Amino acid sequence: MKMAEVIHTNYHLLQILSRFGINLGFGDKSIKQVCTENGIDADFFLEIINSYHHKNYFPSKHLQGFSLNLIVDYLRKSHEYYLKLKIPEVALLLSHLSNIPDSEPGQSFRLIDKFFNDYRSELEIHIQREEEKVYPYVFMVEEAFLRKNANKEIIARISQYSIDDFEREHDNVEDKLLDLKNILIKYLPVPVNQALTQSILFELFRLETDLRDHARIEDKILVPKVRFMEKWLLDNFSA
Amino acid sequence: MIMASIHVIIADKSQLVRTGLTGILYHTGLSLMIRDVTDPNKLISALKKDHKGLLIVSKSFLLNCNPEIIRHVRDSFNRYYIIIIKDVSFEDQNNLEALSVIEQDDSERIIYQKVEKCLQKLYNPVERDRPLEEISQREKEVLKLVAMGMTNKEIAERLYISLHTVITHRRNITAKLGIKTIAGLTVYALLNKLISSEDIK
Repeated sequence: MKMAEVIHTNYHLLQILSRFGINLGFGDKSIKQVCTENGIDADFFLEIINSYHHKNYFPSKHLQGFSLNLIVDYLRKSHEYYLKLKIPEVALLLSHLSNIPDSEPGQSFRLIDKFFNDYRSELEIHIQREEEKVYPYVFMVEEAFLRKNANKEIIARISQYSIDDFEREHDNVEDKLLDLKNILIKYLPVPVNQALTQSILFELFRLETDLRDHARIEDKILVPKVRFMEKWLLDNFSA
Repeated sequence: MIMASIHVIIADKSQLVRTGLTGILYHTGLSLMIRDVTDPNKLISALKKDHKGLLIVSKSFLLNCNPEIIRHVRDSFNRYYIIIIKDVSFEDQNNLEALSVIEQDDSERIIYQKVEKCLQKLYNPVERDRPLEEISQREKEVLKLVAMGMTNKEIAERLYISLHTVITHRRNITAKLGIKTIAGLTVYALLNKLISSEDIK
């Protein structure tokens, strides 16, 4: 398949390209060609775009052979995309909304602004936890798995905190985003800049979808892989 | 209205039960996306992914769920209607609100009717004509206290109602307003002047 066709099929995949560092202007090159030129593992790239494109896509077994490094690196890039690009964009739009001289509606918008900022900090904490706690953990598991050896300490850590716990804790952050959407759709004080509010809503809907897709990648690619290794280690090395 | 396909989660350990129910569901002729869950730990992610639907779960399955999973099921109430399969007789303590209960000796026709009734409720075609649901006076009072940062227990004591009633009010508030988090409810209460910013702890 040609790379251009990918985008015509689903334009939401554009944002994935940027995360992989693929620039536009790839002419009629195939997915494989573009990936090779950019030093990207084409199979992995396909896995990611398929997971985004099909809600119920389940990666086939052999495709789970990617190193965790590849997966985590991608997840980190997505995090960066949210925190450095998407969230500030929405925050900027919201600040325009509340930037009305000291009137009553202005006060309401500042409330909404504050609500979003709280959401933002929550998301930041959530992401930070993943990067500082979960990723080091999965690397530890992989390392032990590849070495085919696990000491007591590693076994204890797996028993204490497994990747399933991570999957479970994984999300209540999105509730706030949903609330924000409803507040903007249903309960905004009038008068309000309609065009601006609509842009904000578009961004929020997109962000929400994207975060959900992101979570799906974690649940379908990262989690099963780590779970498999955890199980193998526990089966072989726990007393 | 948009008729999306309906998500149905069947949560039970028994292959026999899952396959049997799936067969009956196919006879509804509706476009259903049926998903099997055999492991309690998978239930949360199953509920998370889909938007709206039906959760058909057996009592024995619920007994194997930890409190966190139960809490999650309960939190999904405004997206998922619950049908409980009464496969074991003893009472469970979870107090999940089920829309319908399937008994052991229900005939195929009865099961079919029960499920269909729930599905109708879920995707009521006249939904768009439904009048806007206003929150009641009592719900407003509860909402006010929630927004002021009180816990369910404190609210129950303040209003002289049971904890269970507070929880029911809160569910209804969330279902009507479409706002789930306390922070979101607070913003709503402030915007609608139910409270002022000085009221917040």
